[in-house]
Amino acid sequence: MSKTLVQKEQYPPGDFAIWIIIYVELVTFALLFLGYAFSRRADVALFNESQLLLSQTSGFINTIVLITSSYFVVKAVNSIKSMTQESYKEFNTQASKWLLLAMVCGGLFLLIKISEFSYIFGEGINLSTNKFYMFYLLLTGFHFMHVLLGSIILFNIYQKTRRFGYRFNDYKGIETGASYWHMVDLLWIILFPLVYIIR
Amino acid sequence: MKRTFETVWLILVTLTIFAFLLGYLKYISTPLVAILLATTFIKALLVIDYFMDLRNVRLKYRLIPIIWLSVTVSLITVAYYF
Repeated sequence: MSKTLVQKEQYPPGDFAIWIIIYVELVTFALLFLGYAFSRRADVALFNESQLLLSQTSGFINTIVLITSSYFVVKAVNSIKSMTQESYKEFNTQASKWLLLAMVCGGLFLLIKISEFSYIFGEGINLSTNKFYMFYLLLTGFHFMHVLLGSIILFNIYQKTRRFGYRFNDYKGIETGASYWHMVDLLWIILFPLVYIIR
Repeated sequence: MKRTFETVWLILVTLTIFAFLLGYLKYISTPLVAILLATTFIKALLVIDYFMDLRNVRLKYRLIPIIWLSVTVSLITVAYYF
Protein backbone atom coordinates (compact mmCIF):
# COMPACT_ATOMS: atom_id res chain seq x y z
CA MET A 1 0.00 0.00 0.00
CA SER A 2 1.47 3.32 -0.99
CA LYS A 3 1.56 6.07 1.56
CA THR A 4 0.94 9.67 0.47
CA LEU A 5 3.04 12.18 2.33
CA VAL A 6 1.39 15.59 2.64
CA GLN A 7 3.88 18.44 2.58
CA LYS A 8 3.06 20.73 5.52
CA GLU A 9 2.86 24.45 4.81
CA GLN A 10 5.61 26.50 6.38
CA TYR A 11 3.25 29.21 7.68
CA PRO A 12 -0.49 29.50 8.41
CA PRO A 13 -2.72 30.88 5.61
CA GLY A 14 -2.68 34.64 4.98
CA ASP A 15 -0.38 37.32 6.27
CA PHE A 16 1.61 36.17 9.29
CA ALA A 17 0.78 39.42 11.15
CA ILE A 18 -2.91 38.42 11.33
CA TRP A 19 -1.90 35.28 13.22
CA ILE A 20 -0.11 37.33 15.85
CA ILE A 21 -3.35 39.35 16.23
CA ILE A 22 -5.43 36.14 16.32
CA TYR A 23 -3.27 34.55 19.02
CA VAL A 24 -3.45 37.74 21.14
CA GLU A 25 -7.25 37.94 20.69
CA LEU A 26 -7.63 34.29 21.69
CA VAL A 27 -5.72 34.88 24.92
CA THR A 28 -7.71 38.06 25.70
CA PHE A 29 -11.04 36.29 25.24
CA ALA A 30 -9.82 33.25 27.19
CA LEU A 31 -9.18 35.53 30.18
CA LEU A 32 -12.71 36.89 29.91
CA PHE A 33 -14.16 33.36 29.57
CA LEU A 34 -12.30 32.23 32.66
CA GLY A 35 -13.22 35.40 34.54
CA TYR A 36 -16.85 34.58 33.80
CA ALA A 37 -16.53 30.89 34.76
CA PHE A 38 -14.72 31.52 38.06
CA SER A 39 -16.97 34.46 39.02
CA ARG A 40 -19.96 32.23 38.41
CA ARG A 41 -18.49 29.67 40.77
CA ALA A 42 -18.57 32.27 43.55
CA ASP A 43 -22.27 33.02 43.03
CA VAL A 44 -23.97 30.27 41.02
CA ALA A 45 -27.53 31.28 42.01
CA LEU A 46 -27.10 34.86 40.78
CA PHE A 47 -25.62 33.72 37.44
CA ASN A 48 -28.33 31.10 36.88
CA GLU A 49 -31.10 33.55 37.67
CA SER A 50 -29.66 36.37 35.53
CA GLN A 51 -29.08 33.98 32.63
CA LEU A 52 -32.84 33.33 32.41
CA LEU A 53 -33.34 36.77 30.84
CA LEU A 54 -31.16 35.85 27.85
CA SER A 55 -32.74 34.44 24.72
CA GLN A 56 -31.15 31.05 24.06
CA THR A 57 -32.95 31.00 20.72
CA SER A 58 -31.19 34.14 19.47
CA GLY A 59 -27.88 32.76 20.75
CA PHE A 60 -28.57 29.52 18.89
CA ILE A 61 -29.56 31.27 15.65
CA ASN A 62 -26.46 33.44 15.85
CA THR A 63 -24.26 30.36 16.26
CA ILE A 64 -25.76 28.74 13.16
CA VAL A 65 -25.44 32.03 11.27
CA LEU A 66 -21.74 32.42 12.14
CA ILE A 67 -20.89 28.78 11.38
CA THR A 68 -22.64 29.10 8.03
CA SER A 69 -20.90 32.37 7.20
CA SER A 70 -17.55 30.73 7.98
CA TYR A 71 -18.45 27.93 5.58
CA PHE A 72 -19.25 30.51 2.87
CA VAL A 73 -15.89 32.19 3.46
CA VAL A 74 -14.13 28.82 3.10
CA LYS A 75 -15.92 28.34 -0.24
CA ALA A 76 -14.84 31.84 -1.36
CA VAL A 77 -11.19 31.17 -0.48
CA ASN A 78 -11.29 27.80 -2.25
CA SER A 79 -12.76 29.43 -5.36
CA ILE A 80 -9.87 31.89 -5.49
CA LYS A 81 -7.27 29.20 -4.80
CA SER A 82 -8.56 26.92 -7.52
CA MET A 83 -8.38 29.50 -10.31
CA THR A 84 -5.98 29.29 -13.22
CA GLN A 85 -4.23 32.14 -14.99
CA GLU A 86 -6.96 32.26 -17.65
CA SER A 87 -10.03 31.75 -15.48
CA TYR A 88 -9.45 34.51 -12.94
CA LYS A 89 -12.62 36.43 -13.84
CA GLU A 90 -14.87 33.42 -13.44
CA PHE A 91 -13.37 32.43 -10.08
CA ASN A 92 -13.35 36.00 -8.73
CA THR A 93 -17.07 36.21 -9.59
CA GLN A 94 -17.70 32.89 -7.89
CA ALA A 95 -15.83 34.01 -4.77
CA SER A 96 -17.74 37.31 -4.68
CA LYS A 97 -21.04 35.40 -4.54
CA TRP A 98 -19.85 33.32 -1.57
CA LEU A 99 -18.57 36.45 0.15
CA LEU A 100 -21.88 38.21 -0.37
CA LEU A 101 -23.64 35.32 1.38
CA ALA A 102 -21.09 35.47 4.22
CA MET A 103 -21.69 39.22 4.60
CA VAL A 104 -25.46 38.70 4.71
CA CYS A 105 -24.86 36.23 7.57
CA GLY A 106 -22.59 38.75 9.31
CA GLY A 107 -25.27 41.44 8.97
CA LEU A 108 -27.92 39.07 10.31
CA PHE A 109 -25.75 38.26 13.32
CA LEU A 110 -25.31 41.97 14.06
CA LEU A 111 -29.05 42.66 13.73
CA ILE A 112 -29.99 39.82 16.09
CA LYS A 113 -27.37 41.02 18.56
CA ILE A 114 -28.63 44.62 18.38
CA SER A 115 -32.19 43.47 19.10
CA GLU A 116 -30.88 41.40 22.04
CA PHE A 117 -28.94 44.38 23.41
CA SER A 118 -32.01 46.65 22.96
CA TYR A 119 -34.07 44.24 25.03
CA ILE A 120 -31.44 43.96 27.75
CA PHE A 121 -30.91 47.73 27.96
CA GLY A 122 -34.70 48.22 27.83
CA GLU A 123 -34.92 46.17 31.02
CA GLY A 124 -32.68 48.76 32.66
CA ILE A 125 -29.68 46.46 32.74
CA ASN A 126 -26.17 47.85 32.41
CA LEU A 127 -22.58 46.95 33.25
CA SER A 128 -23.05 47.66 36.95
CA THR A 129 -26.32 45.70 37.41
CA ASN A 130 -24.49 42.59 38.60
CA LYS A 131 -21.44 40.47 37.82
CA PHE A 132 -23.26 38.23 35.33
CA TYR A 133 -24.43 41.15 33.19
CA MET A 134 -21.06 42.82 33.43
CA PHE A 135 -19.43 39.73 31.90
CA TYR A 136 -22.29 39.19 29.47
CA LEU A 137 -22.10 42.76 28.14
CA LEU A 138 -18.29 42.78 28.05
CA LEU A 139 -18.00 39.42 26.30
CA THR A 140 -20.80 39.82 23.78
CA GLY A 141 -20.14 43.56 23.25
CA PHE A 142 -16.45 42.93 22.59
CA HIS A 143 -17.33 40.05 20.29
CA PHE A 144 -19.91 42.25 18.51
CA MET A 145 -17.16 44.74 17.65
CA HIS A 146 -15.07 41.91 16.20
CA VAL A 147 -17.96 40.77 14.00
CA LEU A 148 -18.40 44.38 12.86
CA LEU A 149 -14.71 44.67 11.98
CA GLY A 150 -14.80 41.25 10.32
CA SER A 151 -17.76 42.34 8.19
CA ILE A 152 -15.86 45.44 7.06
CA ILE A 153 -12.88 43.25 6.15
CA LEU A 154 -15.16 40.87 4.21
CA PHE A 155 -16.67 43.84 2.39
CA ASN A 156 -13.22 45.00 1.29
CA ILE A 157 -12.34 41.51 0.06
CA TYR A 158 -15.71 41.35 -1.70
CA GLN A 159 -14.99 44.61 -3.51
CA LYS A 160 -11.63 43.27 -4.66
CA THR A 161 -13.25 40.12 -6.07
CA ARG A 162 -15.76 42.34 -7.91
CA ARG A 163 -12.80 44.11 -9.54
CA PHE A 164 -11.28 40.68 -10.40
CA GLY A 165 -8.42 41.67 -8.14
CA TYR A 166 -7.28 38.20 -7.08
CA ARG A 167 -5.05 36.17 -9.35
CA PHE A 168 -3.99 32.53 -9.33
CA ASN A 169 -0.75 33.34 -7.50
CA ASP A 170 -2.04 36.19 -5.32
CA TYR A 171 -4.61 35.24 -2.70
CA LYS A 172 -2.91 36.13 0.56
CA GLY A 173 -5.35 39.00 1.14
CA ILE A 174 -8.47 36.83 1.08
CA GLU A 175 -6.77 34.22 3.28
CA THR A 176 -5.87 36.92 5.81
CA GLY A 177 -9.44 38.23 6.04
CA ALA A 178 -10.83 34.69 6.15
CA SER A 179 -8.56 33.73 9.06
CA TYR A 180 -9.83 36.71 11.06
CA TRP A 181 -13.45 35.80 10.30
CA HIS A 182 -12.92 32.18 11.41
CA MET A 183 -11.42 33.44 14.67
CA VAL A 184 -14.63 35.39 15.30
CA ASP A 185 -16.56 32.16 14.70
CA LEU A 186 -14.22 30.16 16.94
CA LEU A 187 -14.71 32.59 19.85
CA TRP A 188 -18.50 32.48 19.56
CA ILE A 189 -18.45 28.66 19.57
CA ILE A 190 -17.10 28.81 23.14
CA LEU A 191 -19.08 31.88 24.19
CA PHE A 192 -22.48 30.43 23.25
CA PRO A 193 -22.60 27.39 25.57
CA LEU A 194 -20.68 29.21 28.31
CA VAL A 195 -22.96 32.25 28.61
CA TYR A 196 -26.27 31.04 27.17
CA ILE A 197 -26.55 27.32 27.94
CA ILE A 198 -24.58 25.98 30.89
CA ARG A 199 -26.21 26.42 34.28
CA MET B 1 -13.29 13.87 0.46
CA LYS B 2 -14.89 16.28 -2.00
CA ARG B 3 -17.62 17.18 0.48
CA THR B 4 -15.30 17.66 3.45
CA PHE B 5 -16.38 21.22 4.26
CA GLU B 6 -20.07 20.37 3.91
CA THR B 7 -19.58 17.48 6.34
CA VAL B 8 -17.75 19.75 8.81
CA TRP B 9 -20.55 22.34 8.55
CA LEU B 10 -23.15 19.64 9.15
CA ILE B 11 -21.35 18.33 12.24
CA LEU B 12 -21.04 21.87 13.60
CA VAL B 13 -24.75 22.53 13.07
CA THR B 14 -25.75 19.19 14.62
CA LEU B 15 -23.64 19.77 17.73
CA THR B 16 -25.06 23.31 18.02
CA ILE B 17 -28.62 21.94 17.88
CA PHE B 18 -27.64 19.46 20.62
CA ALA B 19 -26.37 22.34 22.80
CA PHE B 20 -29.54 24.34 22.16
CA LEU B 21 -31.76 21.43 23.15
CA LEU B 22 -29.79 21.03 26.38
CA GLY B 23 -30.59 24.67 27.10
CA TYR B 24 -34.25 23.74 27.47
CA LEU B 25 -33.48 21.68 30.54
CA LYS B 26 -34.10 23.56 33.76
CA TYR B 27 -31.13 21.85 35.36
CA ILE B 28 -28.23 20.46 33.35
CA SER B 29 -26.67 17.53 35.19
CA THR B 30 -22.92 17.22 35.67
CA PRO B 31 -22.40 14.51 33.00
CA LEU B 32 -24.38 16.60 30.50
CA VAL B 33 -22.21 19.67 31.18
CA ALA B 34 -19.17 17.45 30.55
CA ILE B 35 -20.66 16.25 27.25
CA LEU B 36 -21.52 19.83 26.29
CA LEU B 37 -17.96 20.98 26.97
CA ALA B 38 -16.60 18.00 25.01
CA THR B 39 -18.79 18.86 22.00
CA THR B 40 -17.67 22.50 22.28
CA PHE B 41 -14.06 21.29 22.15
CA ILE B 42 -14.80 19.19 19.05
CA LYS B 43 -16.56 22.11 17.31
CA ALA B 44 -13.69 24.50 18.01
CA LEU B 45 -11.16 21.90 16.85
CA LEU B 46 -13.05 21.45 13.57
CA VAL B 47 -12.99 25.23 12.99
CA ILE B 48 -9.24 25.35 13.73
CA ASP B 49 -8.37 22.39 11.50
CA TYR B 50 -10.75 22.82 8.58
CA PHE B 51 -12.03 26.40 8.42
CA MET B 52 -8.81 28.07 9.58
CA ASP B 53 -7.02 25.40 7.53
CA LEU B 54 -4.32 24.70 10.10
CA ARG B 55 -4.35 20.92 9.66
CA ASN B 56 -1.78 21.14 6.84
CA VAL B 57 0.45 23.70 8.51
CA ARG B 58 3.60 23.03 10.57
CA LEU B 59 2.63 21.60 13.92
CA LYS B 60 3.72 24.55 16.07
CA TYR B 61 1.22 26.91 14.41
CA ARG B 62 -1.56 24.38 14.81
CA LEU B 63 -0.59 23.61 18.38
CA ILE B 64 -0.94 27.23 19.58
CA PRO B 65 -4.75 27.41 19.13
CA ILE B 66 -5.15 23.76 20.19
CA ILE B 67 -3.27 24.38 23.44
CA TRP B 68 -5.29 27.59 23.92
CA LEU B 69 -8.50 25.62 23.41
CA SER B 70 -7.46 22.76 25.70
CA VAL B 71 -6.40 25.08 28.52
CA THR B 72 -9.53 27.25 28.20
CA VAL B 73 -12.00 24.35 28.14
CA SER B 74 -10.11 22.52 30.92
CA LEU B 75 -10.16 25.57 33.21
CA ILE B 76 -13.85 26.17 32.49
CA THR B 77 -14.41 22.53 33.49
CA VAL B 78 -12.45 23.11 36.70
CA ALA B 79 -14.57 26.19 37.44
CA TYR B 80 -17.74 24.14 37.06
CA TYR B 81 -16.73 20.96 38.85
CA PHE B 82 -14.20 21.76 41.57
